[in-house]
Amino acid sequence: MLEWIRFVAGTVFLAIGILIFFVQLAGVFRYKYVLNRMHAAAMGDTLGISFSMAGLMIFSGFNFTTLKMALVILFLWCASPVSAHLVARLETTTCGNLSDFCEVQEDKETDKEGEKA
Amino acid sequence: MKKDRFLAWLDGEEDLYEGNVEVKPQEEYEVPQEVLMERMRENKRLRERVNDVEHNREYKFFKHLYRILAVDFGILLILLLLLAVSFLPPVGHAANPDNNEVSARYIEKGLQETGAVNIVTGMILDYRAFDTLGESHVLFVAAVTVFVLLRAGKGKQEENDRIYEPKNDTILQKAAFVLVPMIMIFGIYVILNGHLSPGGGFSGGAIIGSGLILYLNAFGFAKTERFFTEKTYKRVCLFSLAFYCLAKSYSFYTGANDIHSAIPLGTPGAILSSGLILPLNICVGLVVACTMYAFYALFRKGGF
Amino acid sequence: MIILQYLLLGFLVVCAVSVSLSKNLLNSIIIYMSFSLVMSMIWICLESPDLAITEAAVGAGVTSLLFFVTLKKIHAIREEETDEEG
Repeated sequence: MLEWIRFVAGTVFLAIGILIFFVQLAGVFRYKYVLNRMHAAAMGDTLGISFSMAGLMIFSGFNFTTLKMALVILFLWCASPVSAHLVARLETTTCGNLSDFCEVQEDKETDKEGEKA
Repeated sequence: MKKDRFLAWLDGEEDLYEGNVEVKPQEEYEVPQEVLMERMRENKRLRERVNDVEHNREYKFFKHLYRILAVDFGILLILLLLLAVSFLPPVGHAANPDNNEVSARYIEKGLQETGAVNIVTGMILDYRAFDTLGESHVLFVAAVTVFVLLRAGKGKQEENDRIYEPKNDTILQKAAFVLVPMIMIFGIYVILNGHLSPGGGFSGGAIIGSGLILYLNAFGFAKTERFFTEKTYKRVCLFSLAFYCLAKSYSFYTGANDIHSAIPLGTPGAILSSGLILPLNICVGLVVACTMYAFYALFRKGGF
Repeated sequence: MIILQYLLLGFLVVCAVSVSLSKNLLNSIIIYMSFSLVMSMIWICLESPDLAITEAAVGAGVTSLLFFVTLKKIHAIREEETDEEG
């Protein structure tokens, strides 16, 4: 009985993860502007990988491999949003006509930062 | 205090060749104005003739010829390779040449003779340590070549190639603050456990090098120069490679025959086991890590 | 498992062809990165985790990083418009 519950839970988690990956893929190819695509890719990365890894963790049971998978999730949660943030920041600093694509809030502090950088 | 001359040369303070080798700088010479004008006219005429595609029959001819030759050459190469593949022995056949006594001996007696649980490491750092010595030297020579090539413009003011890059990004710095130690520890684990689990000097060194590059990107050259300079690179690479050479270059004299090691192999599975494999792994890891970081620093700045 | 291996091998071939066919150098490098990742998965399927770790760290990590830096040094990362002009 317990085996069955574990199997079903793991499968559900894996299926959700794969579904999120497909949604992410569709978003990456559907959107045209860099920031939208990057948003889709980064969100899908963090959420999808955590769901898939959680499914695998449920499958593998309570042992050392599970701990390693948890570490993988932790690492990806640190690394993936930061890289997405860097891509976004590069785009906002290099794009000359950012206001064509989205609303740009004029902020005094960011102006000062821009002058410094 | 007078330093030892070898140490001075190692630190780049003294050039032993200076004054000993006759080097005569090339004299500058004036090119007459008419010759320059003639050259320019010649150039212009040449460019006009070459760009006049419609009337240039040779250009057309060679354009087609090159295309045909390229396709022919590609097809010939593919046919040759397919021919070679068709002569390969069938996959998984018992009489294949790769099922000879060498691999059988590696698998059966590898643990007993090298003391390494990971057979691959036992192979590359014990049976075939001489090959790995060559690999490490290839890396070192490649780094030195890049160094020579990219150092040419060192006197000039380096152009600022970080205009659009995020400088002093707080999020990146905080993330690197957490991630870099984890990456380093993982790399050290991979190196030290090279004879027990998958991995070894090369992969662990590459992981440590990536961690160093991340640190460099987050905090800039000013921070990394505090612990990693040209001097550090030279010393680490020199001592690692020298240790490796001392440990394994007897193969030159014995004709690649193994000498029985005096170091006890220890219990298989423990960290301090399998003789020379662990120090050699550390040496390879150091060389690879330093070389990876050096490549990146050289490409970015032309120096350390 | 066999199906997965065939899928990975097919993906490898597609990556290898599209690296040489892509016009943009930046795209080529990113496709080459994915080639390395697929290759490391195939190494795991072939039961050689040593090579898989090395391939993931060197092929996907450091080599492509060096390629990016080189492209930046020689100013090859440009918009497509300037390519057409030149």
